[in-house]
Amino acid sequence: MIPLRSDISLIVDGLHRLNTRPLSVMEVCGTHTVSIFRSGIRSLLPPDLRLVSGPGCPVCVTDQGEIDAALSLVERGAIVATYGDMLKVPCDRGSLASKRSEGYDVAIVTSAMDVAALAEKHPDREVVFLAVGFETTSPATAALVKEAEQRGLSNLSVLSLHKRTPPVLAVLAGDPGLKISGFLLPGHVCVILGHEPFSFLPRDCGLPSVIAGFEGEQILLGLAEILRQYSRGESSLASVYGRAVRPEGNEKARTLLDEVFVSRSAPWRGIGVIPDSGYALAERYGVFDAERRFSLTIEPGKSLPGCRCGDVLTGKITPPDCPLFRMACTPLSPVGPCMVSSEGTCGAYFRFYKGDS
Amino acid sequence: MKTTTVTLGHGSGGRQSAELVRFLVEGFMTRGIGPELEDAALLPGGYAMTVDGFTVMPRKFPGGDLGHLAVCGCANDLAVRGASPDYLGLSLVIEEGFPLDELKDYMESAAATCAAIGMTLAAGDTKVVPAGGVEGVLFSGCAFGKVHSPFPLGIGNLREGDILIVSGPIGRHGAAIASARFSLEVEGLESDCAPLWPAVRPLLSLGGLRCMRDCTRGGLGTVLCEWAEGSGLSIALEEEAIPIELQVQSLCDVLGFDPLYMACEGTLALAVAPEDGQKALSLLKESAIGRNAAVIGQVSGGEPKGMVSMRTSIGGERLVDMPWGELLPRIC
Ligand code: SF4
Repeated sequence: MIPLRSDISLIVDGLHRLNTRPLSVMEVCGTHTVSIFRSGIRSLLPPDLRLVSGPGCPVCVTDQGEIDAALSLVERGAIVATYGDMLKVPCDRGSLASKRSEGYDVAIVTSAMDVAALAEKHPDREVVFLAVGFETTSPATAALVKEAEQRGLSNLSVLSLHKRTPPVLAVLAGDPGLKISGFLLPGHVCVILGHEPFSFLPRDCGLPSVIAGFEGEQILLGLAEILRQYSRGESSLASVYGRAVRPEGNEKARTLLDEVFVSRSAPWRGIGVIPDSGYALAERYGVFDAERRFSLTIEPGKSLPGCRCGDVLTGKITPPDCPLFRMACTPLSPVGPCMVSSEGTCGAYFRFYKGDS
Repeated sequence: MKTTTVTLGHGSGGRQSAELVRFLVEGFMTRGIGPELEDAALLPGGYAMTVDGFTVMPRKFPGGDLGHLAVCGCANDLAVRGASPDYLGLSLVIEEGFPLDELKDYMESAAATCAAIGMTLAAGDTKVVPAGGVEGVLFSGCAFGKVHSPFPLGIGNLREGDILIVSGPIGRHGAAIASARFSLEVEGLESDCAPLWPAVRPLLSLGGLRCMRDCTRGGLGTVLCEWAEGSGLSIALEEEAIPIELQVQSLCDVLGFDPLYMACEGTLALAVAPEDGQKALSLLKESAIGRNAAVIGQVSGGEPKGMVSMRTSIGGERLVDMPWGELLPRIC
């Protein structure tokens, strides 16, 4: 055995010392989930410290009804542009990937701005950006909407499925069925929002909450800070993400969000409709709102039979507890969205977890 | 197979591709005239043969183009089975309307690459199809060469204790193509597309050489998973030891890809008996493509059997699995 790097072994020692009773910590963000698997963090943790994955993979929380709305747009002849891992998210009548293989126009973009170019290239077609993601991707959508206005791209519209992080955490923190002792908060989201929107977690719910980056080392540090607070009976909002997160967040991005979006209630796959947890385009940018342009109404979808994504997303079960895991549900034919994305909890378990060894 | 039609996932080099191949060759296998599923086939009389098809978008990319890629791809399949790239057959399916100048460019770079490794164009064919019949042009190559290794190289030779070496930084071809496809320019990012034969030739004198693979579609991760599965042995990797260029890593971070699964076109993985490990490494380091060759792990008889595990840079342990389905860039 090669010894651990000395700085890492200090943190790991600390974790083992501080963890005196069974505890569950939720990592909210899908990028954290994957990084935890990729860096093999679980193999370093004390046995009584359980990591629970939260609802922080944008693909996974996208509701069936939202996918349904997107499918109806391609069927009506629009070019639907979206991020790659949205393609395979199923609803009961297929996915964007299955529509693409039927010959409908689905374009993969890596940044929202690509959609402006796409709309310019196809002036005679309706181009709809299927906008998903949390506060990390919504500023880019906001910028796209402003760009579309400036360039007069009247064939471009946005189906905003954006979701907001703080309201869903409030729901989870208040869920008596969920025994979480602390939150590892997503660094990227906090870079935009700052500390304030999350301060209710330690203040009102008594939960140690730590903002961490995505390297294995930072995740370990974040966990150590949560355990430290817990062992002293403290709860506060701390950051181990270094200078990237300013307490006030990124003012420019926040102003952009406030200008282009208004919050609204939104459906979360498997969790239900949560008030104020989504972003819709503000009245002033209504002409770019695909829901208006195509008179769409997004109905929260029924959950897929047998899929326990809701329980996975809220950390009530781990994927191997789902009867479909690895049987009917694999990354090749995902039943639920948690299996679709590379950041989805079920997908991550599928790739990295081979049972308790 | 679970699906009724071919999907892009079948083309991405992982488990699904293997499934498609098994599905296609079934009729040959049951009649006892099927292929051995290696990069190139070893034929009676000391020859090796391979075929490969090439479509790449964009057709010109940093570090190469379609012509160079077609020659390297074919020649490298031979090289990793210990055969010299002697003869090449090329078949082109060309879409009506394709610019002749561009075609000439690809043939010119194919010729230059062949000349550099002593390969002769022995046969060829062209087909022109109406617009829309193919996207631009398809290259297919068939390569034939003499086997120079004194014994057959292949997965069956893997033994507990063998040292695993990679000839250079991984994932460069896949990353270069992805950067062009998704218009994410990364300065200094170039495909590794290159012929392997000059680096392989001297290795063939090592009695402890077990097997080699060029890490094309599916990348190093897929190759090692196939080795572990095929041999029933366990493979243990050291994450820190695997050479990855900063450019490749940062592109992968943006798109949510794992460099382990990104294609290489001029990088090989090899397994060698422990006593020849250092020798293999220094021979590789003397070659043009192998300056950054590194020992990345070892074959072990332990657990988990038939799987690849990795000791991560922070000292954790994790499994490395084959990629599933089409690699799609993630959100944010
Ligand atoms: S394993 Fe599949 S069916 Fe079960 S919760 Fe996960 S995504 Fe849903």
